[in-house]
Amino acid sequence: MSETNTETTGIPKEIERFNVIFRIQHVLMFTTFLILSFTGWGLKYAHDPEGLSSVWIRVWGGPDTAGLIHRIAGITMLLDFVWHVIYLIYLFATKQMTINTKTTVIPLPKDVFDVIKNFMYFFGLSKEKAKFGKYSYAQKFDYWAVFWGMFIIGSSGYALAFPMQVSYIIPSFTSGWIWELLGLMHSDEALLAIVFILFWHFYNEHLKPEVFPMSWIWITGKISTDKLKHHHPLEYELLFPEEAKKEKKG
Amino acid sequence: MSQKTFAVAVAPLLFLLLLLPSVGLSQESETCLSCHGVMKGSLKTQRGTMVDLNVDTEKFNASVHATLPCTECHMRFSAGSHAASGSAVPSDILSLSSKIAAKFKNDPVAGAACAKCHAEVYQKVLSGVHGKNITEKKQVDGAFCLDCHGSPHYITRVKDGKSPMSRKYQVETCGKCHGSQAIIEKYKLEENVMDSFRESFHGRKLHLGHTRAPVCTSCHNAHDIRTKSDPESPVFGKNKLETCGKCHRGANEKFVPAITHKRPGPIPHYGEKLLILLTMGTFAFIISHVLLEAFADIRDAVFRKKEGK
Repeated sequence: MSETNTETTGIPKEIERFNVIFRIQHVLMFTTFLILSFTGWGLKYAHDPEGLSSVWIRVWGGPDTAGLIHRIAGITMLLDFVWHVIYLIYLFATKQMTINTKTTVIPLPKDVFDVIKNFMYFFGLSKEKAKFGKYSYAQKFDYWAVFWGMFIIGSSGYALAFPMQVSYIIPSFTSGWIWELLGLMHSDEALLAIVFILFWHFYNEHLKPEVFPMSWIWITGKISTDKLKHHHPLEYELLFPEEAKKEKKG
Repeated sequence: MSQKTFAVAVAPLLFLLLLLPSVGLSQESETCLSCHGVMKGSLKTQRGTMVDLNVDTEKFNASVHATLPCTECHMRFSAGSHAASGSAVPSDILSLSSKIAAKFKNDPVAGAACAKCHAEVYQKVLSGVHGKNITEKKQVDGAFCLDCHGSPHYITRVKDGKSPMSRKYQVETCGKCHGSQAIIEKYKLEENVMDSFRESFHGRKLHLGHTRAPVCTSCHNAHDIRTKSDPESPVFGKNKLETCGKCHRGANEKFVPAITHKRPGPIPHYGEKLLILLTMGTFAFIISHVLLEAFADIRDAVFRKKEGK
């Protein structure tokens, strides 16, 4: 797996992993995520540590302004998510995207085995790490975590931002407990999302020795064929079957 | 005269007020304060109650009552010596003082004297739950004027940030009783009032300094405070629609249960437990995965140098 090998063969040096629309959606997602985390944190921990949250919220223009910023960022994030879903539907409808077990982001039984295999590798019980298609289980987890977040935090956030409008559509029997539940859902799962991003996403896409300081795919959208072969061997085999076969023999 | 013409024509004249000599203590107050301003400690009266002798001149001077002579409220006393009897107490104040005597053991007339200027507000308090607790049940720990507004000698406007009824301190002031376990048990009060407010969106925003977040009186009225079972209470049944509607225009029956002082019911309670379980499970997975992977990377780099890398 040296540089010269790829140059002599007829395969491209790099391939597009995420097109510009996906990249814009990602930028919108993380900017709004950061803004929401920063402004929401002050309200979640309004009382502790004593006095600090008041100072922090003042950084964001005081509680009135911080609330407005939080709402605007939240709506932007929800629209971004809706855009993403509609775009996916469009891609499927026009057959620009099809489901293939080696390229899909949908979780498969293989991902569970991959997790087990990797844990065995970490403990020295397996000589090999798991081999991934286009998306490793770590990346799938990252991706679907956003859907979970949108479902729990997004929906509750919408209800809390527009309680009057939402109150008309909730069933009467829920009104006694749903507001309390929505508040808890929003705040608890927001903390989960923040810790998840800090540990999982930051380690896997920023701190890991092989990507530090960050994976540049979010800007360029491109991955080198070398890296593809190394990190996503199954996708590489799918895209360049002949090269892969040759290399295996050689 | 329309409001605008008034503002244009008269308001500038108000600046002339600044030219007036600043209002100082009345002659009489100075006489009283010449002793009470320097006296310290308290004294046992003949009836066995304790009376605080000190009046802080500086703080009194800064209060809204600074211009009142002492005998305006302490009608039983004269401007001169304590031996001389004071002015005649009007009959309405006298009858009022006997009603609230349980609360004001030292000088019930002075306690009733608030009504001389604040008659309307005083009546509201008397008809409310706090007033009835004193006039009917003859209880002494029920809130009355001074319990909420602080000493009449140092009283400041509610809008003045230092007032115990200001936005900053009001919740704390009400909490002196409504957060006290002994009082809650004695009067069978709603028990989770302070914590639930603290944790609510209203309480959090207020704490952070939100300009429109409500305080206790926003929903429960300022002087006309009633129990929630009283049909005239702003938080009784359907009255909530109007009360919440003051800020949340169009508040409906499915909206108003959003804020209560009750503890979370079983669904939010166990719902949260479930979410916490999920959160902890996720943390356990991601943190162990990240750490183990990092250790494995270090192990590989140090002990298992791969070929070609």
